[in-house]
Amino acid sequence: MTKELIHATMATTAETFAARTDRVRSRGPEESAALKRAARLEALLGDPHDPANPHGLTALFAADDRRETPAETEQLLAEAGLGAEFVPAEYGGRLTRADLLAKVLRPIFRRDVALGFGAGITSLFATSAVWAAGTERQRRNTARLLTDQGRASILHHELAHANAILRDEFTARPAPGGGHLLSGRKDVIINAARADAYVVYARTDPARSPRSHSVLLLDPDQLGAGVRHLPRIETTGMRGCQFSGLQFTDCAVPEDALVGRPGEGVALALRTYQVNRCLIAGTVVAAADTVLHSAVRAVTAGRSRPVARRWQGPLTGVFADLLACDSMASVALRALSLLPDGTHVLAAAVKYVVPDLLRENLEELATVLGSRGYERGGSAYGALDKLVRDLPVAGLGHAGTAACQAVIVPQLRALAERSWFAQQEPPPELFRTGAELPALDYRLLSIAGGGDFLAASLVGSAARLANVRGVGGQMAALADLAEAFVTELRALREACRHLPAITPGSLADPAVCVLSDRYALVLAAAAVLGVWEGQDGSDPFLAAPAWAVLALSRIGGRLGIPVPELPEGCVEMVLSELVHRFRAGRSCDLDATAPAQ
Amino acid sequence: MTLGDPTTKGTAMTENDPRITPPVHISGPRGPWQQVREGMAVRGNATVCTTWGEWLPTVVGDPHLRALLGRDWQRYRRSPDPVVRARFAASRLAVKYTAAAALALDPGDIDLAYRLGGRPYLRGFDQIDVSLTHTDELIAVGISRLGRIGVDTEPAGRRMSFELMQDHVCTFDEKQELAVLPEQEQSAAMLRLWTLKEAYTKAIGQGLRLSFTEFGFGVAGPALLAPDGRPAARGEWAFGTWSTLGRYLVSIACHDCGLDPSRDTRVQTMLDDGFLGAVAELVALEQQSEPLAER
Repeated sequence: MTKELIHATMATTAETFAARTDRVRSRGPEESAALKRAARLEALLGDPHDPANPHGLTALFAADDRRETPAETEQLLAEAGLGAEFVPAEYGGRLTRADLLAKVLRPIFRRDVALGFGAGITSLFATSAVWAAGTERQRRNTARLLTDQGRASILHHELAHANAILRDEFTARPAPGGGHLLSGRKDVIINAARADAYVVYARTDPARSPRSHSVLLLDPDQLGAGVRHLPRIETTGMRGCQFSGLQFTDCAVPEDALVGRPGEGVALALRTYQVNRCLIAGTVVAAADTVLHSAVRAVTAGRSRPVARRWQGPLTGVFADLLACDSMASVALRALSLLPDGTHVLAAAVKYVVPDLLRENLEELATVLGSRGYERGGSAYGALDKLVRDLPVAGLGHAGTAACQAVIVPQLRALAERSWFAQQEPPPELFRTGAELPALDYRLLSIAGGGDFLAASLVGSAARLANVRGVGGQMAALADLAEAFVTELRALREACRHLPAITPGSLADPAVCVLSDRYALVLAAAAVLGVWEGQDGSDPFLAAPAWAVLALSRIGGRLGIPVPELPEGCVEMVLSELVHRFRAGRSCDLDATAPAQ
Repeated sequence: MTLGDPTTKGTAMTENDPRITPPVHISGPRGPWQQVREGMAVRGNATVCTTWGEWLPTVVGDPHLRALLGRDWQRYRRSPDPVVRARFAASRLAVKYTAAAALALDPGDIDLAYRLGGRPYLRGFDQIDVSLTHTDELIAVGISRLGRIGVDTEPAGRRMSFELMQDHVCTFDEKQELAVLPEQEQSAAMLRLWTLKEAYTKAIGQGLRLSFTEFGFGVAGPALLAPDGRPAARGEWAFGTWSTLGRYLVSIACHDCGLDPSRDTRVQTMLDDGFLGAVAELVALEQQSEPLAER
């Protein structure tokens, strides 16, 4: 950041943001088109608080209560062409970039995470292996299926410490005369009973190795004998989603069902999950946003005086956390396009940090909401009750975080030895909203190596801020915080350099799990600083340091590193923006999206 | 120091939820930990009751105390009162040893960290959630693999005035129920209610920040209720109150996210071999192609 920009930023901190006028950011054509589609979905879904709206919160909560999928809303989304959002543009769909897809999906997730999964991203999670490694014919068929309102289901392989969703797997053995015979049983598969395609991560080698599984693309209508549908499973979270089981018994699968090479399943999972991880983080932020709105409603309804002091801390803290989560998710989503050979670690860190932070945020908001948080089913305050149940399913709990740690842990030593404090900073477009980016190409995504561009960005941010340390106020606090995270990265480098080599099957030093947690939080801080520095000034609130200071203080608090006292005006400024956004119906993420007109 | 029969399990006070493992007494680092592991395997949660005196030999004599306390060492050193200091160290050791029994690792490998609201957690190991409480000599530690857990304890004989406390602690329905009880029962019921409410608000990491009048518990076996008496959950929460070591009341609140997580909570097995192997293989390849010395 230049000296001029730092001074300009300091000047904007004195502005009253409630009176701001929205200046329009310049955006590329693809981003503009995606934002238009998001606005169209927002308009189609209508006023979430209108009790007569069949797609409003009251209707969606009621469907959840009855354990039903909101059929009318699913139909609306299908007819609006949601399926095409999951098909790469080169196959006739509208998928160009993962960050833009997240923006399109947010209107859905803002209302109902389960709807977002059940009627939405599950199909992308399933078909991404096809986009990454499928044959031309598999891609064309899959593209047609999704654009024709079809659904795809993913049949995961079993991961370590699996929960019900990740437990059990299918085995495929070579069939005489070619193809495979598929066997096994899995009880909890989303949309198993109504999918038009199954993407199976089947075990093809009994050995525990990175080449143990292969991916198969199946058409349920073409399967002969040997497949049985198991009953629907009632779940605590995402009650309306249709989870059920499948059992295969020597079910013949044609040779051309194989996606990619034999034994490529684990690699394909690693390659495609990084997109899923960033998307989940980038969309559940929108769901938490609805709960934050309901909490602001609770403390401002019928009250002309300012928000009571006791609620200012939790409300501004959660708002800052949402911006931090969005920063981390947005940077990772953009990196998938811009730096596809080095986003895997960040993607794992995003999925490791964001659901955990949001869970903590929901608990803080439960305190603000008090008894209103138990008003199940009502559009004004019912979002908390639902998201508390849905969020663990979206994040997959411990099994989900452990799967992310399995990606981070084996890379820590190499990162410490080769990348941290050595690598060059990423291009500035990574952090700049509106900057054009290359299209997402699943084929280009690496699953290991490539260094750590975000740690490099942290070191760069801290260096640029160093000359305002000691001047006092919010800028100095930001500079001190940046330096504190660099100090933490330095400590991590020392600790990780001495880690024993990683060999599967034995965890020589459990400290790696602790270190991966600390590292993921450092990356969250780096993303906040990067996004703050990347502001072009069109949003004076995001360009001012207050939100970043608050967000970094909270991340630092979680790390247990020394953080400076919150400077004067920080909480007030973030609170004023929060109340302003609530009154205007704008989202509490980096985009401050306006509600449906 | 008489603490009653240390081998007995906690005695149920009322209709307790069978999904909660009753508290077990642990007499120091050597456990016995079998019941904790059993509770974790069968019900997914376990609560340990212990007294700080039972950990004193470790606090005073373990040459690795500093490493064992980790980031809590500074706070330990800063406490001027030796009793406060010893109790603080004992409580942290109790958490680490209890968690270590479930994670199957050395207690010294655990980084006991704190959420912004003060709730302790195990950094890097989210397969179990922990909660810690203490009163007088007693320390209670709850662990769960199903979701959040909160524990709270009070001396069983502590008198809690219904008259003075009802407006701060009770919902309307609770006041009605308690008002008709004879005075002694009233105080006992208030104490039970207090520990249940503490356990619940600690489970969600909020403690006293969440007002106790914003939620309530039913009479016939504790169930989470909104102040107007409607159910506030769909069965995800389980509660119970036990009398332990003859003179303490321990309440436990357990949340079940419903993911049906793995019974295996060991650290050794948590990182997926397939993922770990695939990534480690590629990292090794990259290192071979670009040896460090050449950079």
